[in-house]
Amino acid sequence: MLCDNCKRNEATILIKEIRNGKAESINLCAECARLKEQQGELGSFGFNLAEVLFDLGKLTKAFKPGAKAPPEVEVPHEVAEAVCPHCGWSAEKLRQHEGQLGCPECYRTFAPLVEGAVARIQRGLVHLGKRPAGGGPDGAVAMRLELERLQRELGELIKREEYEAAAVNRDRIAALKRELEAAEAEEHRS
Amino acid sequence: MSARVEALFRNPAGILGEEGQGGDIAISSRIRLARNPAHRMFPLRADAEARRELCDEVAATVPEFPTLGGAEALVFDPEALDKLDREVLLERYLASREFIAHPQGTLLAVRPDERCSLMVNEEDGLRIQSLRPGFQLDEAWREASQLDDELGRAFEYAFDEKLGYLTACPTNVGTGMRASVMLHLPGLVLTGQIASAVAAVNKLNIAVRGLFGEGSDNLGNMYQVSNQSTLGESEKQIIDRLGAVISQFIEREENTRKLLMERDQHGMLDVIGRSYGVLRHSHRLGSEEALKCLSGVRLGVDMHLFKSLDIARVNRMFLAIAPAHLQKRAGRELDPADRDVCRAAFCREQLN
Repeated sequence: MLCDNCKRNEATILIKEIRNGKAESINLCAECARLKEQQGELGSFGFNLAEVLFDLGKLTKAFKPGAKAPPEVEVPHEVAEAVCPHCGWSAEKLRQHEGQLGCPECYRTFAPLVEGAVARIQRGLVHLGKRPAGGGPDGAVAMRLELERLQRELGELIKREEYEAAAVNRDRIAALKRELEAAEAEEHRS
Repeated sequence: MSARVEALFRNPAGILGEEGQGGDIAISSRIRLARNPAHRMFPLRADAEARRELCDEVAATVPEFPTLGGAEALVFDPEALDKLDREVLLERYLASREFIAHPQGTLLAVRPDERCSLMVNEEDGLRIQSLRPGFQLDEAWREASQLDDELGRAFEYAFDEKLGYLTACPTNVGTGMRASVMLHLPGLVLTGQIASAVAAVNKLNIAVRGLFGEGSDNLGNMYQVSNQSTLGESEKQIIDRLGAVISQFIEREENTRKLLMERDQHGMLDVIGRSYGVLRHSHRLGSEEALKCLSGVRLGVDMHLFKSLDIARVNRMFLAIAPAHLQKRAGRELDPADRDVCRAAFCREQLN
């Protein structure tokens, strides 16, 4: 099959996209796919990053009128329809702009979506790094929170006999404990 | 042509002029920190006036940031630059593709040695970058963090106790830090080990991508290894974890090269010799072939096969054969065919 774009090379990449509720597929050669990707026409190769990041696919179903089965409302309605009071951003805008938020306040407005995204992509849920200069103790509170979470998780992993993951968890707990002790010693000195 | 871009273009050092630690396999280390001023919209949502305002405020305070070079800092208004000048900034890793594609209401400040820079209104309001030759993530982090502290005194950051630094995309939230090291891995590519190595580290939330070309079609055997997760670990933990993976890549690459020389010496020397031959004698050289051959010659230099060539020169050639740099050198715009002729002439001259 020839590439739908240049009609010259053999198509090697099939991209399926839902546009205006209709599934469309397009066959591209590697070169055209690369060009389109560079020009941002494909999102992340046909994926909408926002949909993957925030699990917004389920949100679409909730929006679709006249569906046979009752819509799966996975995302609470108040989030799906929330509008940021500070910047006017909406879940729909999130989708259009590949998961980008409008302002810092959006983290509060879309908290359930953000929490889901963070849990999917990040290694932890709590910030353990540096803080703005003059911003108080160096993350000791956050470290204790994370330690607590990891210890809870470790118990569950052992119960489920997922020993490999448990070992990773155990190492992180040990490292965190060391770091916490060092931070506390530092605090005592200063 | 901008005089300041001209100054950068004439700067032979960049980050490529000298060898750093881990010199031959690790080419450069980079730390990028994403920050946003509190109580303002992220650049995507901000209107033209708000974007301009932030640029003006940064431009006015740059002299207060010694880590950016203070009053010596080179400040660019990307909108006022022509396309070729913007491409030069991109090829020198001072600006991202995204940044130069949308130059309206942006600003770029660069320390004259190019090792520290600040992009205003890229995806986030403020993006700090620190670049170092070789494998020097700790040093790059120290410098980025220092500039971060200086900026943090001038701007109140959007910061949340639980989520850390708030960024336009939740993929960067927390530390806002992306640490990366550029590696030259011809041994792993030649022996077909690269795919399994990449798959293995992906499981550790570490990304590996080819620097030139796409996916498996990597040119020049250059790979960028970086952290994907930015939340749930301190900067030091992220850097240590990434550093351990990079050390393994370096060790494996070294061992593979030794093994290749033992088992297939003629094959190795043939790759290197042919690469040198093409660069030394061709009169029309596409960028694909040039990158491939430079990688071969770089391997030869690492293995002390060339007396008259050093690694810094080869590193600089990687930069100099990029399209915008070639055109700058020629002093005019060149179509791809002319570029191939200029690229060949440049390589012949460098290896003469």
